[in-house]
Amino acid sequence: MSDDRVHVASVEDFEDGSRVVVDVEGREIAVFRTDDGFYALSNYCVHQGGPACEGAITGTLDVEDGDLVYDREGEIVSCPWHGWEFDVTTGEHLADPAYRLPTYEVVRDDGELYVR
Amino acid sequence: MSDHDTMSGVADLDVVVDCDAHLTEHQEDVLPYLPSPFAEMVGGGLASDDYGYIGNFYPSAGFLTPVNTGKIESTSVKSRDAVREGMAMLDTTRTVLTPTQNLYLGCVQHPELAAALATAYNEWFLDTIAAPDDGLSGACLVAPQRPGDAAEEIDDRADEDAVCAVFLPSGGVDPPLGKERYHPIYEAAEDNGLPVMMHNAAGTMMLSFSHQFQGFDRYLSSHVPAHAMQHMVHLSSMLTKGVPELFDVDFVVQEAGIGWIPYFVRRFDHEYRAKREDAPLLERLPSEYVRDQFYFTSQPVEGTEDPQYIADTIRHFGGEESLLFSSDYPHLDFDHSSDLFRILKSQFGPETVRKVYGETALGVFDF
Repeated sequence: MSDDRVHVASVEDFEDGSRVVVDVEGREIAVFRTDDGFYALSNYCVHQGGPACEGAITGTLDVEDGDLVYDREGEIVSCPWHGWEFDVTTGEHLADPAYRLPTYEVVRDDGELYVR
Repeated sequence: MSDHDTMSGVADLDVVVDCDAHLTEHQEDVLPYLPSPFAEMVGGGLASDDYGYIGNFYPSAGFLTPVNTGKIESTSVKSRDAVREGMAMLDTTRTVLTPTQNLYLGCVQHPELAAALATAYNEWFLDTIAAPDDGLSGACLVAPQRPGDAAEEIDDRADEDAVCAVFLPSGGVDPPLGKERYHPIYEAAEDNGLPVMMHNAAGTMMLSFSHQFQGFDRYLSSHVPAHAMQHMVHLSSMLTKGVPELFDVDFVVQEAGIGWIPYFVRRFDHEYRAKREDAPLLERLPSEYVRDQFYFTSQPVEGTEDPQYIADTIRHFGGEESLLFSSDYPHLDFDHSSDLFRILKSQFGPETVRKVYGETALGVFDF
């Protein structure tokens, strides 16, 4: 991708959901909206090439003081092929930080979203 | 350009046989094919409320899995078109189709009903799925609870063009498969020239390793050891009791990955040298029977982040001749065909890639 920003979506595209998948110069990129803002990730799973960002958007299980708790609702996307969980905000694979989905910086400008 | 260079992807291979991809039959799909007297007894299924558990003849382990949480999308494969869709995604030219719910057939409590369910599944498969001229082959399901009925089932199905193997759902099966009671199955397989596939399922450990099943109390800790563990039990029994010496049959051992194979075979030879009197029927080293009569399907290949490990492991059990590519599609831990291909291509010559991806299967199965 060039240094220039590339248009990927409009803010209004997120009125009915928190994810938009777009083709940018032959690469599939998923843009997510969380409570904190917009994040863009590669849609190609680093495991076996599945559509990593098209799976369930959920939270994940954690343990606090010995109790099971459900945390980070809306911040986790799982590859629908094998269930690998990725942090939408960083691209990190939750189970093994050696794996991560490439991320792209999202720029918001007058209701339009760009990646670079 | 060398032969190797032209082989850039799985699609470049002329023959790609997936030696374990699953149908996702449900009991209600096969019940209409039940033979008498069960056809009359249960008809099309329950007539009234099932209480939430009583409707199913196959026991369930009740695992909480990534399918339950929605983190893995499950795909239904109950039609020729659905099979073809998977084959297109995996670039395969032929598939040996195997069941899903019937992986638990060996856990069905009623032996005669289990045999009838096997018959019904085979009828359903032949009626709605089989298309051998188009690459849709399958294995004849048998119930280990009733070896005599299983032998009849094999005799009845062996002439079908679509039937290329016997499918022995080995999970949860007790006693282990080396016992004399199973001889009719091996005899029928030998008579009909069909290999015998052995396939476990994680949940079947609730019968074969019931204490451990309760103790593990999670899907992960159950699934990691379940497949290889149950295979080791059966193979240990079969080798000790001389099954591959008594029967000229090939066995296809499925879905346990690869690393356990060289370990198990070496350990067996090591112990046999000191305990030969426990296995007097054997006339050769256990490893020689494994080399000559046992094949292993690849999925789920562990350690793919380390191609050298994969190559070493394959060489350590002679996998250049006995490893069979399998995807396990559409199950939740399926392997895409491109993953192992990329590694084999970097570590072996084109002949080995072609063998693992199909040519060995052409020799094992009666397509």
